[in-house]
Amino acid sequence: MRKIFLSIYCLFTITAMVTAQANFVKENFTKTETTITMRDGIKLYTVIYIPKDESQAYPFLMERTPYSAGPYGADNFPRSLGPNENLMKEKYIFVYQDVRGRYMSEGTNLEVTPYIANKKSKTDVDESSDTYDTVDWLIKNIKNNNGLVGLAGISYPGFYATACLPGAHPAIKAVSPQAPVTDEFVGDDANHNGAFFLLDNFSFMNFFDMERNGPVKDYAKPVFNAGSKDAYQFYLKMGTIKNTNGAKYYNNKSVIWNEYLQHDTYDAYWRARNIRPHLKNISIPTLVVGGWFDAEDLFGALHTYEAIEKQSPKNNNRLVMGPWTHGAWASNDWNKFATHEFGSNTSKFFQDSLETTFFNFYLKDKGNFTASEATVFETGSNQWKSYDVWPPKNETPVAYYFNDGNKLSLQKTTTQNSFDEYISDPAKPVPYTNGIYGRRNNEYMAEDQRFAALRPDVILFETEELTEDLTLTGRISADLFVSITGTDADFIVKLIDVLPDNEPNSKNAPRGFNMAGMQRLVRAEVMRGKFRNSYPAGPGGEKPEAFVPGKITEVKFDLNDVAHTFKKGHKIMVQVQSSWFPLVDRNPQRFMRIPDAEEKDFQKATIRIYHDAVNASKIVLPVLK
Amino acid sequence: MKKYCLLLFICCISLLQLTAQNTDSAWVRDNYYKIERMITMRDGIKLFTAFYIPKDSSEKHPILFNRTPYTCSPYGEDKFNPRLYASYWINYLKEGYIIAIQDVRGKWMSEGDYVDIRPFNPNKKGKDIDEASDTYDAIDWMINNIPGNNKRVGVFGISYPGFYSTMAALSNHPALKAVSPQAPVTDWFIGDDFHHNGALMVMDAFNFYSGFGIPRPKPTMTGKPGYEIHSDDNYDFFLKTGALKNFSKIMGDSIAFWNDLMNHPNYDAWWQSRNPRNFVTNIKPAMLVVGGLFDAEDCFGAWNLYKAIEEKSKNTDNRLVMGPWFHGGWGGRSNGDYMGNVRFGSRTSEYYQKHIEIPFFNFYLKLRGTVHDIAEANIFFSGANEWKTFDQWPPKNVEYKNLFIKWDGKLSLDNPNVFKPEDRAKRPESFSEYISDPAHPVPYTQDVHLDRTREYMTDDQRFASRRTDVLTFSTDILTDDVTLGGPLVADLMVSLSTTDADFVVKLIDVFPDDFKYDEKEFGTGNGKDYPMGGYQMLVRGEIMRGKFRNSFEKPEPFVPGKITQVKYTLPDVAHTFKKGHKLMIQIQSSWFPIADRNPQTFTDIYHCSDSDFQKSTIRVYHDVNNQTKFILPIIK
Repeated sequence: MRKIFLSIYCLFTITAMVTAQANFVKENFTKTETTITMRDGIKLYTVIYIPKDESQAYPFLMERTPYSAGPYGADNFPRSLGPNENLMKEKYIFVYQDVRGRYMSEGTNLEVTPYIANKKSKTDVDESSDTYDTVDWLIKNIKNNNGLVGLAGISYPGFYATACLPGAHPAIKAVSPQAPVTDEFVGDDANHNGAFFLLDNFSFMNFFDMERNGPVKDYAKPVFNAGSKDAYQFYLKMGTIKNTNGAKYYNNKSVIWNEYLQHDTYDAYWRARNIRPHLKNISIPTLVVGGWFDAEDLFGALHTYEAIEKQSPKNNNRLVMGPWTHGAWASNDWNKFATHEFGSNTSKFFQDSLETTFFNFYLKDKGNFTASEATVFETGSNQWKSYDVWPPKNETPVAYYFNDGNKLSLQKTTTQNSFDEYISDPAKPVPYTNGIYGRRNNEYMAEDQRFAALRPDVILFETEELTEDLTLTGRISADLFVSITGTDADFIVKLIDVLPDNEPNSKNAPRGFNMAGMQRLVRAEVMRGKFRNSYPAGPGGEKPEAFVPGKITEVKFDLNDVAHTFKKGHKIMVQVQSSWFPLVDRNPQRFMRIPDAEEKDFQKATIRIYHDAVNASKIVLPVLK
Repeated sequence: MKKYCLLLFICCISLLQLTAQNTDSAWVRDNYYKIERMITMRDGIKLFTAFYIPKDSSEKHPILFNRTPYTCSPYGEDKFNPRLYASYWINYLKEGYIIAIQDVRGKWMSEGDYVDIRPFNPNKKGKDIDEASDTYDAIDWMINNIPGNNKRVGVFGISYPGFYSTMAALSNHPALKAVSPQAPVTDWFIGDDFHHNGALMVMDAFNFYSGFGIPRPKPTMTGKPGYEIHSDDNYDFFLKTGALKNFSKIMGDSIAFWNDLMNHPNYDAWWQSRNPRNFVTNIKPAMLVVGGLFDAEDCFGAWNLYKAIEEKSKNTDNRLVMGPWFHGGWGGRSNGDYMGNVRFGSRTSEYYQKHIEIPFFNFYLKLRGTVHDIAEANIFFSGANEWKTFDQWPPKNVEYKNLFIKWDGKLSLDNPNVFKPEDRAKRPESFSEYISDPAHPVPYTQDVHLDRTREYMTDDQRFASRRTDVLTFSTDILTDDVTLGGPLVADLMVSLSTTDADFVVKLIDVFPDDFKYDEKEFGTGNGKDYPMGGYQMLVRGEIMRGKFRNSFEKPEPFVPGKITQVKYTLPDVAHTFKKGHKLMIQIQSSWFPIADRNPQTFTDIYHCSDSDFQKSTIRVYHDVNNQTKFILPIIK
């Protein structure tokens, strides 16, 4: 989540520091701290680093952040500036701004500030207008600027980068939303398909939504002091979502937490916080960046790109997807992750060949920016691929049907009334990871799923060994025919690459771990069953629907895109389960407002996944021909 | 398993020790010589025996004798066994003991036919032989032929050699003065190695016998490797291979004992003749029975051989030592200061060697020192992490108290049926249930791996708590220490939807949420930074094959749906649940792949088909009429 992002970001910055000359920033930049007055009179705290070398005019490169524009104070310099070291050395006027209502800025912070399309007065402010007013002030007041502005940011700052696009100031010429928070009900951070991401958010909001009475350099203290080295145990013991507001925890002290609990459907609150519909007629070059192993905003990267592409087809809009965790493209070295070895330094490639050239070209008119529409790292085969459209033109959806005997097959079965069933027990939810972790295991998106395969509440289907490589590029769709004994249930579908029994260990495989036969997770997603008919983001989103116990019902949903090659000799596996704990909160399996659920509302359910001639559950894979 | 003995032993040698060993190795070669002899048994068969003899002839030396099916190698009078200098055995050499190691009949360089756990014959006539007579004949030969011996012999051995030690004791050769069966293989149907309460310990049995059981028509210096599993995942291999008859196919016809295992599904006369406990009467030598509380192989054997001798050979000078060890951990394979993630705060193996075993043999074989300080029972209590001594085992001051499971997942020492009447009316029948699915058996340990771990005996059981097919009951946080010493009885009231099922009961110590080992007191253990807060330490686990609930000889099917008592005894426990901890019990119906899967159909499991395996809904009752409970041996 975004807090984790912070610590990761710090880590990257620290490693970056080592290579950067220690005092480069102080020696080469003049620091100015100022407040910039917005149209409604609110002042936003802004820290500006101006190159000392005045022989040329510079463009601005800005990050707007809720995580502090600090270090504050004229004598305090960060060890590095900007999205990467090349850009720092290239020299831009680097601007960091505390967004409205955060740290040293005045005003009130809103969760993922809604965009106001038709602003009627000076009090109609949003992130677009705040960016506009800031840019306007900067180009008029900072000497030696070339009148061009770029924005970049990762995660929440990625959202602030996106948010400047509709109604943008004409001086803004290049924007790079990176892992941008985009739709927190459908796919980012807070919820995936309406299922609440308990683990990340419970710990994040404790440090994000702390008490603030006016501008502060540092928030005093977290909302509560609690934690555990065993998250599964901690959240299971805590019990209901309601209990998160108990005296020991949020105790109604977090506004945003209460908003999350209040808005348990895709209602006006969440719709207002979906920036995608407003990304139309954009004419600012965009470089959207995301990571295949980003546990927080993978959806945001893919869907921000898609929304711009569809609604602003003429825009210079590009997508970069690499084998990265949340923000890992900003690290110095990223040639491996979990048991993956990528064979090259993927983050350096991105910084040198894409990010630096993008800003240099559009803001300094320097060099060329020749990147393809989509630059995508293909896991499994471990290579960068370029496409002129994403998903690629020659991608074809291919249905793989669930079959008897745990088989996954291109053929639909002819048997009648065939199903697999399991009991989903909210008292014993399926863990999202193997082992005891206090925080989210950052490697869970590439983790061996054998621990899950041997549970009775996880069912699986797998192909024979592939006789040739199979490459997937694009979105995956799961189409399940289910019946349940309760009135609601979650469905988690996991796409898994089963490595051969003779797979050698990669260099970074943990000691004692054997990769032979590993069930490596490629992509997974959860669907909260009651939203099945309002998906995706359809008009029914505010009206979840109960299941009729025992009635066969279709549950269809998308999994985020992949670019992955299943190598010859590997097998494709799909696992289906009804909990993913404590990553996702438990579904009581009773149709109701889950934030109101009492302990007694949680009930076991028998879940059937049908795979017969009539009700042919399947997964549809984007096969590259 | 035992075949790993030597390998593990060699692996355990740390760098630091190596220098000392080099010195010791040189010392041994300077002060000892080796001879190899074929000793003729009463039936003419010759057994290969290696002797390491002190060059010093200023005094007579006692003989320490080890009989083994795992080879007395290295062969050749110029080659010395590293155990002599790389383990605590060096202490015996410094004391001038003669060390004798013998290949048992039919193994390695000895002649004759090998018979696994060869039955003791109490009525031998003429040239009849058994392991006791072989030991007798060997001792007789060596006291008369080995130069400089004092005609006092001690026998010791770990695991299978522990069995041969028991058999040695039954020889009652007058020169045999002291015997120490350690982790002695004792009853392969009830509790050691290959069956626990009639459930086949399939992983150990298959892995062991695929190599150990290969026929050896002639004496040889080389062994044959076992079946190589082409997988890194024992769970997957054993699940995929399926029914036991498929394992028999892999084994082929030639492995006699595997066939015996398959052909004796019940505790018949064949098995009973292979239970040394039936024969431990009138034992003359002093006995020191040694075992590990966390021995995955022969924990049962140690506890129960001691008890059998107590019962059947009352005049024997019989002692018991149980420490916090894995199989053979006390015998030079570990310091005994940790086991898996659990730490004990002291080097328990060294304590045992210095204060118990060496003084024991010195006293009986060298007539030196005293055994006054070695109590009847010397038991290390994990949890409390201290040695305690007792003049009997189980101790006199044990109070057997019922621990009840409750409908709300709690365990209580108070009878939970003392409900308010209205509550009782509401719950005339109360049970917890799960579905036991042979296609998804409960794993015995968390991670993917090939070789059976020894650490599973103290592993964190949180992975199991989180499964839908494991029932978990726990006490409230304990306000006082609770110390258990003695056998734990599980008294389950169950019903199944099918005609057979297994029951696995696990006694667990739940550590406090903020628990951490203080390195000053506990060292660094296995060096892993495992999250110990909330750790669910397995203290004792045992399986019961349901159909044997009334008799191991005559299995009985369950009547589907009928509430049935399944009562069995787990191997003894010596553990203190500290104040602030919780006592937990888990119940499950598989423990895979250490135990084979029960098809959950009443049938001959050794010959049934994959299609005989079916899901069973298991209910465990906790109501007025049918109250599941456990009987705890609480030390006052």
